[in-house]
Amino acid sequence: MTEYLIRRILQSVLVLFLISVLSFALMHAAPGGPTQIMLSPGLSQEALEIQKRNLGLDQPVHIQYIRWMGNILQGDLGTVFKTGIPVGDILWPTVGNTMILMGAAWLVTLIVALPWGIYNSTRVYSISDHAANFIAYLGFAMPTFWFGIILQKYLALKLKWFPLSDMWSFGKKGDIGDLVWHLVMPVTVLSLSFLASYVKYARASMLEVLHMDYIRTARAKGVKERVVVFRHALRNALIPVVTIIGLDFPLLVSGAALTEKVFNWPGMGRLFVDMALAREYSVLMAIVLVTAVFVVFGNLLADILYAIVDPRVQLSRKGGRA
Amino acid sequence: MSASDSALQAVKKSPGPWKIAGRKFVRNPYAMAGVFVLLFFVFVAIFAPILTPYDPAKIDLMNANLPAGSEGHLLGTDELGRDILTRLIYSTRVSLTVGFSVALASVLIGTVIGAISGYFGGWIDTILMRFVDVMYSLPSLFINILVLTLWGSSFGYMIMVLSFTSWMGVARLVRGNFLQLREMQYVEAAKAIGVSNVSIIFRHLLRNSIHPIIVYATLMVGSAILSESALSYLGLGIQAPQTSWGLMLSNAQEFMLIQPQLALYPGLCILVLVLAVNFIGDGLQNALNPKEKKKIPMRRLQQWRNEYLKSAN
Repeated sequence: MTEYLIRRILQSVLVLFLISVLSFALMHAAPGGPTQIMLSPGLSQEALEIQKRNLGLDQPVHIQYIRWMGNILQGDLGTVFKTGIPVGDILWPTVGNTMILMGAAWLVTLIVALPWGIYNSTRVYSISDHAANFIAYLGFAMPTFWFGIILQKYLALKLKWFPLSDMWSFGKKGDIGDLVWHLVMPVTVLSLSFLASYVKYARASMLEVLHMDYIRTARAKGVKERVVVFRHALRNALIPVVTIIGLDFPLLVSGAALTEKVFNWPGMGRLFVDMALAREYSVLMAIVLVTAVFVVFGNLLADILYAIVDPRVQLSRKGGRA
Repeated sequence: MSASDSALQAVKKSPGPWKIAGRKFVRNPYAMAGVFVLLFFVFVAIFAPILTPYDPAKIDLMNANLPAGSEGHLLGTDELGRDILTRLIYSTRVSLTVGFSVALASVLIGTVIGAISGYFGGWIDTILMRFVDVMYSLPSLFINILVLTLWGSSFGYMIMVLSFTSWMGVARLVRGNFLQLREMQYVEAAKAIGVSNVSIIFRHLLRNSIHPIIVYATLMVGSAILSESALSYLGLGIQAPQTSWGLMLSNAQEFMLIQPQLALYPGLCILVLVLAVNFIGDGLQNALNPKEKKKIPMRRLQQWRNEYLKSAN
C-alpha cells in the first residue's frame, strides 16, 4: 500500500510538472510570443526594452519558466494586466461560486440517480428503465448551453417562475433562499448531464452484484427481497459507484464553463471565458493550472479511496490514472 | 460425396464478417434512422445554394425580425434581416466539416500513438502514456479557448485544436488492444519470417482492432459537433460573416426578448444531427461487437462521458 501510494503521488507530481511546462510552452509558441501579448502596444524601442526587462522577458525561456513556477509555488499567480490586481484576488472567489453551483448539481443528481438506478436494477427493461435510456441519449446529444437557453426562454421569460440569470437578486447578496432560487435552472441543466450516467452506473453495478452466488443463497434462505436488495446487494454495489463519483470531483471545479456563461454565474468557467475575450493571459494560465491541480489530485484521491474501499484491487497494477 | 460437396459450397458461400455486420446494422431501426437523417444533412450541406435563394451573410435591414411564415422567409429573418432557414442550411456545412475532420484527425493521431505505445511497450509506452495522462488532466474546453485566443479564431485552428485535445481516448483504446494482440501467435509467426514492425502494426494488428476504432470515431463526430457549437457560442469559433448553429444560438440569446423562437431551431438541428450520429455509432457497436448486448454498454457510456463532460459542458 505504501509503495503504491508513493508511486501514485510521484506520478501525479510528474504529471503536474508536465502540465505546467506544456501550458508555459503554449504561451511562448503563440505568434509573436509573450512579448507581443504582454507588452503595451505603440511603445518606442527603448521603452519596449525597459518594459521587457521589468517583466523579465529578456531572460532565456527556461529561466523565465523557473521564475514563473517559483512565484506560483509561493502562491503568487501574477497580476491582471489591465488593472494590476493580483490574479488570486479575482480567482479564488469564483472558485467558491463554482463549487456552490457544481456541488448543488452533484448532490441533486446523487439524490435522484442512486435510488432510480437501484429501482431500475430490480425492474430491468421496465418503463422507468427505458426512460433512463431515453434521457441518456438525449443528454449526450444535446448542447447543454442550448438546454439552458430554452429553460431561460420558457421558465424565466414566459412563466417567470425563476430568475433569468446571475447568482443573487439585486441587493439580496447573502440571502440563502434567494441563492437557491437562482440555483434551480443551472442545476437542472448540469444535472441532466450527470443524471443519465449515474443511473446507468448504479443499475449496472447492482445488476452485477444481484447475479452473485451469495445473493442467491440469501434468497434461498428466505430473506425478504427488500433486505436482499438494500442490505446484501447495495453495500457491494456502491463501491464502484463511489469511485466514479470520486473521479467526477474535479468536475466540481472545471465542469461548468458554458452553463456559467449562459446563466451569468460568477464562477471560474465564466471568468475564464471573459478573460479569454479580454486577452488576460496570466489569469488564463492560472485557471488552467488550478484546474489541473484539482483534476490530478481528485483522481489520486479516487484511486486511493478505491484501494481502501475494495481490497480486491490490485495495488501493483501499472499505470493508474493520473 | 455430394453431401460433403454441398457442405463445402456452404462453407465457401458463408458471408464474411463485414457482410454479417452489415446485415445486422441494416436490421437495426435506430441505426438506419440515424443513417437517413445523416444523409439528409449531407444532402442539405452539398446542395445548399440550390435549396435557398438567399445569401446567409446578406444583411437586409428592411426585412429584419420578420416572424416565421413570412412571404419568402419560411422561418422568418433575424435582427439583421438574414433569412433564418438559409443560415440553418449553410451552418450544416460547418458542423459536418468540423465533425468529420476532427474525428478523422484525432483518430489518426490517437491510433498512431496508441499503436506505437502498445506494440513497443517499455519506456516508449511509459512516456507516451504519461503524455496521455497530461492531456487528460487538462480541461479541454479551457485549452481550446486558450489556443483560439492566442492564435486567433480561424476554422483551421479550430479543427486543429479540437483534434489535438480529443485523441487520447483512441490512443488508450488502441494501446489496450495492441497489448493483447501483440502476444498472439500470428504476430510471433510474422516476426519469425522477418516481417517488419511497421508491417505487423499496420497489416496485422491494426486490422484486428479496427472495429472499436470505427465505433469510437463515429462517437467523436458527435462530440466534435457539440464542441464546435460551444466554441462558436462563446464567440471563439466560427466568426461573424460565416454562420454556424452555435453562433446563431449566441445571437438568439442576445435577442431573446424580441425573437424568442430564434433559439429553438439551431439547437434542434444540433440535437437531431448528434443523436443520428450516436445512433449510427451504437448500431455499429452492436453489429461489429456481437458480444455486447447491453443497450448502452458501460464502456461506451464512459467514452461518452469523457468526451461530453470535458468538451461540451
